[in-house]
Formats: sequence, C-alpha cells, structure tokens
Amino acid sequence: MYSSIKQPELLPYGKIREDLFRPLSGMTKTYFAAILIPLLVILFGAYAWMAQLRYGMGVTGLQRPVFWGFYIVDFVFWIGISHAGTLISAILRLTDAGWRKPITRAAEAITVFALMIGGMFPIIHLGRAWYFYWLMPYPNSRLLWPNFRSPLLWDLTAIVTYVTGSVIYLYLPLIPDMAQLAEHNAPWRRKLYRALSLGWTGSDTEWHALERAMKLMAGIILAVAVSVHTVVAWDFAMAIAPMWHSSIFGPYFVVGAIFSGLAALMIVLALIRKLMGLELYLTRHHFDNLAKLLLLMSVLWLYFTMAEHLTVWYGNDPNEMVVFGARTRARFAPLFWLMVSVNFVVPFVLLGIRRLRSIGTGVIASVGILLGMFLERYIIVVPTLSNTRLPAATSTFYTPSWVEVAVTVATFAGMIVLYLLFSKLFPIVAVWEFKPHPHEDDL
Amino acid sequence: MSATYLLSEFRDKDAVASAIDSLRAAGVSTADLDVFSEEPVEFRRGVLDRPSRMSLASVLGAIVFGAAATAFVWFAQYNYAVVTGGMPVFSFWGTGIITYEMTMLGAVLATFGYFLWESGLLRKGDATAPVPVVPPECICLRVRCVSGDAARPTVLLREAGAVSVEKKAPL
Amino acid sequence: MTHRWGMAIDLDRCTGCEACVAACHAENNIPISTPEQAATGRTTHWIRIDRYYEGAFPDVKVKYMPVLCQQCDEAPCEPVCPTYATYHNPEGLNVQVYNRCVGTFYCANNCPYTVRYFNWFDPVWPEPMQLQHNPDVAVRMAGVMEKCSFCIQRIKRGKDEAATAGQPVADGDIQPACVQSCPAEAMVFGDLNDPESKVSRMAESSRSTRLLEELGTKPKVFYLERGR
Repeated sequence: MYSSIKQPELLPYGKIREDLFRPLSGMTKTYFAAILIPLLVILFGAYAWMAQLRYGMGVTGLQRPVFWGFYIVDFVFWIGISHAGTLISAILRLTDAGWRKPITRAAEAITVFALMIGGMFPIIHLGRAWYFYWLMPYPNSRLLWPNFRSPLLWDLTAIVTYVTGSVIYLYLPLIPDMAQLAEHNAPWRRKLYRALSLGWTGSDTEWHALERAMKLMAGIILAVAVSVHTVVAWDFAMAIAPMWHSSIFGPYFVVGAIFSGLAALMIVLALIRKLMGLELYLTRHHFDNLAKLLLLMSVLWLYFTMAEHLTVWYGNDPNEMVVFGARTRARFAPLFWLMVSVNFVVPFVLLGIRRLRSIGTGVIASVGILLGMFLERYIIVVPTLSNTRLPAATSTFYTPSWVEVAVTVATFAGMIVLYLLFSKLFPIVAVWEFKPHPHEDDL
Repeated sequence: MSATYLLSEFRDKDAVASAIDSLRAAGVSTADLDVFSEEPVEFRRGVLDRPSRMSLASVLGAIVFGAAATAFVWFAQYNYAVVTGGMPVFSFWGTGIITYEMTMLGAVLATFGYFLWESGLLRKGDATAPVPVVPPECICLRVRCVSGDAARPTVLLREAGAVSVEKKAPL
Repeated sequence: MTHRWGMAIDLDRCTGCEACVAACHAENNIPISTPEQAATGRTTHWIRIDRYYEGAFPDVKVKYMPVLCQQCDEAPCEPVCPTYATYHNPEGLNVQVYNRCVGTFYCANNCPYTVRYFNWFDPVWPEPMQLQHNPDVAVRMAGVMEKCSFCIQRIKRGKDEAATAGQPVADGDIQPACVQSCPAEAMVFGDLNDPESKVSRMAESSRSTRLLEELGTKPKVFYLERGR
C-alpha cells in the first residue's frame, strides 16, 4: 500500500516509528554470522599486533628508508573516511537540505567509528607503542613536556577535538530518539535509554536548546573536520622529503577525505537499506544526490592530483622528478594508473551516464573509490620514502608483511562490528528529524 | 502557594499557537507555559520565544579554552626549553594549530555544556511539574496556574481547540 | 668558550676501506648486520661508505663518500620528534636520547641524508661478540631510533679528563672511533669554534663543501674534494 508513496515523510508517524525501531529487536542468523566472522578477523589482527609488540617492528615489511608504510596509509585512510558524517550532516544541515534527513545518523556513526579506528593507528605504528602516552602533556618525574612543535602533536590535538566533537554531534540528536525508545521491552535497554536520554521530556525549551546546539555544532564540526585532515596532511607536508613538501597537501587531503567518506557512506547506506528493509526511507533520490556529490568530488580530486603532478613535472626538480617517475612510469605506475581509473574514470562512467546510474552501480563505483583512495595514500607515502635524496640510500623493497595486512583487514572488520552493534542499539535513521517541520520564523 | 497544572492536548499546531496567544493576553507568562511534542514544533516569532545565550557561551568557551591552551603551550615550551632544528622555543605559528584546535574544542564543550544547562536536562528545576505522555501526532500544552486561576485558562484552552484538558496537582 | 664539534673528511684521501665502519660498530655496540638484513634494507651502520660509479669499464671511476649523521645546526629531524628524543645540545650536537624514543619514525623520514637507523628487533650478537660491548654506550632495544652521535661518550671523557687536568681540551685530544681508525687519516674531528683547530682550517679550505647544503640544514661535516 505504501509503495506508491513518493515522499516517506508523509507516512503516518506510527508507521515510521515502527519501521525504524523494528531492526533494534531480535537477532537473525545473518546478523549473528555478520558479527561473528568479523570478530574472528579482529582476533587474528590482534594476534598479529601482539606479535609486533612482542618481537619488534621487524615483523612488518618496513625498512630503511621506507619507515612509514601500511599503518600510516591506514591511518590517513580511516581519518579520511570519517569526513562522511561531517559533510552530510554539517553542510547539509547548515544549508537545510531536506534530503539529508534519513542519512545524517548513519553518516555520523561512520564518522565516530572511523575516527576510533583511525585513531588507533598512531599507537599501532609506534616502535615502542606502550609508551604512546608520552605524547600527552602530563607532569612527570623527568620534568619533560612533549614537543608541541611536532606535527604529530598537532595530530593528537586535532583528533582529540574531532572525536569529542563527533561523539557529541552524534549524541545530541540521539537524545529525543532514546527518550522514545525508553519504553522498550528489554529491561536492560530501558535502563540504558533512560540514562542516556537524560530525562528528556520533549518540552519546547529542550527542543529549542537542542536545535540551537546542533546548528552551532554543525558549524564547529565543519571547521574542525577541515582542520583535522589538513593537520594529517601536514604530517607529510611539513617534512622536506621530495614530493611531500607541497602546500597543496592540506586541501588535497581534505578533498580526498570527503571523497572517500562519501563513497563509504554510499556503501553503508546501500547495505542498511537492503539489510534493514529501509527501502521506503532511503530512496533512489538520496542515492542520486549522493552520486552527484561523488561525481563532484571525483572531479575535484582529479583537479588536485593533476595540479600537484603538473607542477612537479614542469618544475623539473631532480629529486622530485625521481619520485614523479617512480609514481607514474616506474615501479608504482600500475598502482598509480589503477588509482586514476577507479577514482575518476569508473565513477564518471557509472555515475555520470544517467542511464547507468543506480544504487548498484553506485556501490560498485564507491568500492572502486575506496580502493583508489587507499592506493592514493600508498602512492603518496611509499615512493617518496623509497627514493631518497642521496641515491645510495634508495630502496625499492617495501612490501607489507602479513602483520600489516592482518591489522588492516581487521580494521575493516572492526568497522563492520561497531556498525552492526550500533544499528542494534540505536535507530539508524533519526526518527524525530524525519517529519518535515515547516519553518515559520519570518512570517 | 500551591500551583496546579493544566495538561491539554491539541491535534494541530496553529491551535496551540492561538491558545498560547490568548493565554498570554490573559496574563499567563511564558515561564508558566510548556509545549511537549515528539518532534520540534516551530511557532512564528512572538508566540513562545525562548531567548538563548548559547552562541555567546560557545564563543566565550572557545576563547577561554584556546587562550588557556596557548598559554599552557607557551609555559611548557619554556619550562623545558629544548632547541630543535633552529626553531624558536615558542612561536605562535609553530604551535598555532594547537591554539586553533583547542579553541574549537572549547567551543564544542561550551556548546554541549550550555545545551545541558539551557535545556533544563541537568537542572533539577521544577521536579514537581507533571510531564504529559504525548500521544502520537499530538502536541501537549502545559499551563502552570496559581490555584484559583485554573478556570479561565481552561476555558481559553477549550476555545482554542484543545482535544482534552486535564487538571493535575503537582507531583 | 663552548665547543662546537665538527668533522672534516678528505675525500681525496678516502680509499673506501671501511675501517671507520668497523670501528664505529665496535665502539657503539651496533648490532652486526646479516646478509638477510642487507637484502631487506635493515642494516645498521652509523657511518656508511656510499659508492658512486662514473663511467663504464674499463674507465670506471669510483667515488667513496663516508656518510654519517651530519649533526646539522638546523636539523630537520629535530622539530618533528614529538617526545624530544632528538634535540640540539649547546655544543652543536644532534643528540639522540634512546630512553625517550617511542618510535614514530618521523625523524628518519625527515632526514635528507638517510643516516638514521632503527632497531627492528632486539639486537643479537653472535657469541662471544656480546662480551666486546663498550660499557660507555647504551645497548638499544627494539623500537628505538639511533644514529651517529660523534662518539659523544668520547667527547664527554675528553672534556672530563681535560677538566681534571685543569687544561682546556686540546685539538686532536678527542677523536671519535671512525676518525681514530682511518688509516689514510682522511677524517679530522675538532672544535669549529676554535679558529686554529685543524677541522676549522679544513672547513675553510677551497676544497671544502657540504652535503645537500641547499636544503639549509647547516651540516657540520665538511667534505674536501679536489676541483671545488
């Protein structure tokens, strides 16, 4: 009966609530398997990391001069994916774009979990990871403070700020939904929701405060997100290594982050639409809009990539040209051109040609984009380090070892597990935001 | 002085607005009025404005936190002054990012903290006021009347189109 | 007056014999590298001889260049270390504090000379080589970055002995292991703040140049080469 309805916001409120609360209860066999298998993968990844802690960083594929490898690629990749929520939630909230409504929470959840995962890598990649807390300023017996001039400290402050902001930004719109869920059957859930909803009653004072807070947070989180990935980019740009020391890195990484974040969002939305029966709420219209945004980011990404490489090629600095050659013609060329194909060519064909654009092709393009963005970070990190300024120290030997691959795969599994748990505890679509609220400020 | 509460249910937003207008014309203050709903209800300006200082709190929090963090970095850099690569011991640009991020963090924390305060979620507030259970698709209006006064507001509420009006004692 | 330690290496005298490399290993408790490590780029040689070949057989010319930490005055490796494990001491040395290193690898990535070496595993010496350790130098554990220190333990001992004797440090008193062991006497170490010291005079020679000077790192190792 409802399949002919074009606008799901016009569904009766009771039906909306029923649809969006239904996935929270019960556990199907698919769900159980979907959580169990990634958990096993995570266990193996943890075992790999234990081996690294026990024996030393030598179990990885790293070597002189390639001192940063898969772990740093993973770090930048996951922090990049965290920009999904920020773009959708914050920018679309600020511009009051209605189509964002069913996807804000899913996007914000991606942000928080991607940040949690990405934030682990600055610890995982350390040679003496158990001393990671030395990067934090605390009074100690050596009377030492950390070096705030180091871009790694800037990373720390940026990520701490972003995590705090994202968690709050995810939590705020959850409060009204949790107040409604507090009447749930299972007693432990009732206690959880009641505690988390902080006694929300739905009074207009509370609503006004919430909306004001969310508007402010949207602006703040946007400013923070841009700075976070700029700071991550500056881990590379502040170094004098050839083809790292470029002022384009800040904006380049932000664009790449939004790009990969949107791709991840599209995949996640397609999955939850299928698995949780949300076809009425996540319509072709949403995926169409996401596809257009993805196309825009793809062009922007291409623009930045071209700008960086053209200036290097034209400038003809000897050290930079060696790295440029390594990337585009020599050892890394297959990866480089694969990256360009899946980041630009494939999305343009699958999403640019209207007849080909669909949810399925959108997911295919997005998977390609995630691969492409992973490759992009690899191509930024490894060729530069492999081709040192003193030719005698050059190496080409870096290949990731089983430890690095296991940890990388485990992070993807971790994302799946976290998301599955989230979708069982909280409605993945913000129920209260869903109905259109006509604005009457200026009548 | 004992107050009583009137819990009224409406089906329609405009009816609530006209009820509020007439109640305010009769002398009920906005502090005694509360609208309960399952989704935010927006009235036109002048009906039930709740002035807010959240932006100010956010900006103040940002400035305070950012300044404090910068001062701390300045202190820490000089407290254990180490020469690295010819850079100055403290330079604003060398640690400017930290200033920026901590300013933003201050804004985030101040916004969230002020939200918890302004929404009344963390204030004990008026714990004796009864909270209506809002049926789906309805909007509830709670009026706090000094006792004896309940008759006139009840009439105004029914005139505005309330589906039901219930008188309740404080909890 | 404070010292400012520097080194001059005469490339026209260097024969590439690698006695300096061996001496550095012995003096600084550097683990012995195996062929497998060499194949995977994990050797540790605080000083290494870089070989550059010019021409084709039979007219091949080989240039030998001992490359060690240049102890840059504006070292790019120093500002990026988050825990101050590497910093500049008042005598101009780029000091590496093993106890403070958490292993972020940023310093090694930022060194344009690639003279920083990492301990990928806990070091192991074949029996009985571990008995030959120098007690003045720490043995580093896995996860810690290390590099040439200009034999800071010998500098310290030299200064202590001079202070005990009540004399200033004489030029040539302090010699790092590599300088001491060079059979061609191609390496000279001394105080750049002393204009009469051998290293200062060599640094001002017309044959003197520095490696990757254009990067602005202000290295304190001077290479002397004919035709400059």
